[in-house]
Amino acid sequence: MTAYCLHMEQLPPLMAWWRKEYDVYVPVAAEGGHYDFAPWREGTEIAFDYDLAYNTLKRYFLPPSEDLLTFDLASYEAQAVFEDPKQILFGVHPYDVRAVNQLDQLMEAGAPDRNYMARREATVVMAMEPQRVADTAFWSTIGADVVSHGYDLHFTRISPANFMVEVGSVKGEELLLARGPLPAATAGDREAARKAHQKVMDLSRSNRLNFDWRHTPKLMEKGWNAGVWREKAELCLACGSCNVVCPTCYCFNVSEEADETLKTGRRFREWDGCMLVNFATVAGGHNFRTKALERYRHRYMRKGKYISDKIGELGCVGCGRCVRACTARIANPREVFNALWEDQANAD
Amino acid sequence: MLTKPKSFSPYVPKPATLVGKSKLSDFVTLFTFAFDDGRILAHRPGQFIMLSIFGVGEAPFSVSSPPTKQSGNFELAVRRTGTLTEALHRLEVGAKVGVRGPYGSFFPIQKFVGQDTLFIAGGLGYIPLRSLLHYQLRHRDEFGRIVVLIGTRNPKERIFVDQLAEISARGDVEVLETVDQPDPAWTGNVGVITTLLPKVEMDPSQTYVAMVGPPIMYRFVISECRDMGIRGERIYVSLERKMKCGLGKCGHCQINGLSTCVDGPVFAYTDIETLEEAI
Repeated sequence: MTAYCLHMEQLPPLMAWWRKEYDVYVPVAAEGGHYDFAPWREGTEIAFDYDLAYNTLKRYFLPPSEDLLTFDLASYEAQAVFEDPKQILFGVHPYDVRAVNQLDQLMEAGAPDRNYMARREATVVMAMEPQRVADTAFWSTIGADVVSHGYDLHFTRISPANFMVEVGSVKGEELLLARGPLPAATAGDREAARKAHQKVMDLSRSNRLNFDWRHTPKLMEKGWNAGVWREKAELCLACGSCNVVCPTCYCFNVSEEADETLKTGRRFREWDGCMLVNFATVAGGHNFRTKALERYRHRYMRKGKYISDKIGELGCVGCGRCVRACTARIANPREVFNALWEDQANAD
Repeated sequence: MLTKPKSFSPYVPKPATLVGKSKLSDFVTLFTFAFDDGRILAHRPGQFIMLSIFGVGEAPFSVSSPPTKQSGNFELAVRRTGTLTEALHRLEVGAKVGVRGPYGSFFPIQKFVGQDTLFIAGGLGYIPLRSLLHYQLRHRDEFGRIVVLIGTRNPKERIFVDQLAEISARGDVEVLETVDQPDPAWTGNVGVITTLLPKVEMDPSQTYVAMVGPPIMYRFVISECRDMGIRGERIYVSLERKMKCGLGKCGHCQINGLSTCVDGPVFAYTDIETLEEAI
């Protein structure tokens, strides 16, 4: 794979150049000791060593609220609304790229969701090797530490002042070389990148699954009646925070409103969450998942089995956002998966 | 990735006009629609559409009329139960709505050809089954025995009463009804729908079951059908869930790992018997 070497000082001029055409989002320090993605401006201090962005990147492809159509109440003509702002997401960790790759597959499958795809195609993803690991993260133990596709460029900091940048697409290479040629990465640079990866993997040893993650779908299948569901769900506030911060949760609700003249209106979708009490309620009031336990289990089944059945990888990328967001401290997929493993190991 | 122009969106409904409206019971009305551009819905029995009333919202409804090649008209029978259905009931003939679809799986009519069909409808479950029944009546000689079992809470809630009397009078369709709560005028069977099953004798090796009703009904009726010797792959059910997109994306209609909108709503029992959340 083509790779170049980029000096730290070369980055801000490139960002300024990109910004002429793109909205550029970068990781920055946010309130409360957290990090988040924010628009890059001249002088923005990029948090190259951020551990975890508090919010997920799905908002750039599937915004919390998004218009799907506008309509005319007299003619009943409806117009599709598409928004596709040109945007660059810089510094995306591999587990988050993996989450976006999953959304790509799921939103394109069957009848493609063209609103999602329009945004996705207008977006450039610049991945970055993590330098630190969030204390709640466990991506290294479920194979989400590397990603083979879905990025246009992949940055690895190989020294305090240098990056090795791997090219993932023609568009990425054009953007990287927009301000002039760069030296090709040497064998030494590649070795330094490998070491940087190894270093962060060493840092991530503490939060591990007790088994090979590939067993997870089977564990889920057998664990329908496991005690962990009751034990955790008893404390669950069913607030949906875990849904909101999850990079692979994409359920939505559709609503609409007429404008004040009652002549036209808009239909829009908003994030929804399967943990919320009325998520599976049908007309007449029957609710197919009334209990928090049922909803809690459904969410994990989706992460551990249903999505895996569809695309062959876990629907959880181990980012640890849900662990941080859950006020009841019960939304830790690693604990749930490990509990199922212990249960079944003891049963066998 | 994109194969069609970006201007195409599966979320855009097509305008249709309400061309007929007739009351079926205190709460249920039959609505007839026609697409404004003359297109034909081209649905198959068991499929659903997403119906929009702009400014109010959109929801899934099973099509109650059989497929037609001649006319674009199609029928929905709808119970007044929430904001959207309330608004629908207030529409006058000539009013416009938006329609997406048809969506979802359907009763596999070709398998039913030359076979006997046992229809089992609980409550409003007759609405989607009517599409299949009327298709079979139009092609009566292609199908064997047709037996229709209908269970309703009370006589006042019965729908399509006159039409069912006509069908019953044809002589080539057996229609058996029951109500849970009879009124003084009711002379028919009293009890839940399973009380009708012992009254029909079907050859399990050549019977297909088409069943729609509330979740509680499936549990009991499927078990009795199996006791009658009908195999799971011959039992078809239509399952109801909340649907927001109809495209397998929004997540609301999931039954375990399946999406009711694209994998269903019509399932062979064998496809769902191991799913904990199905019935």
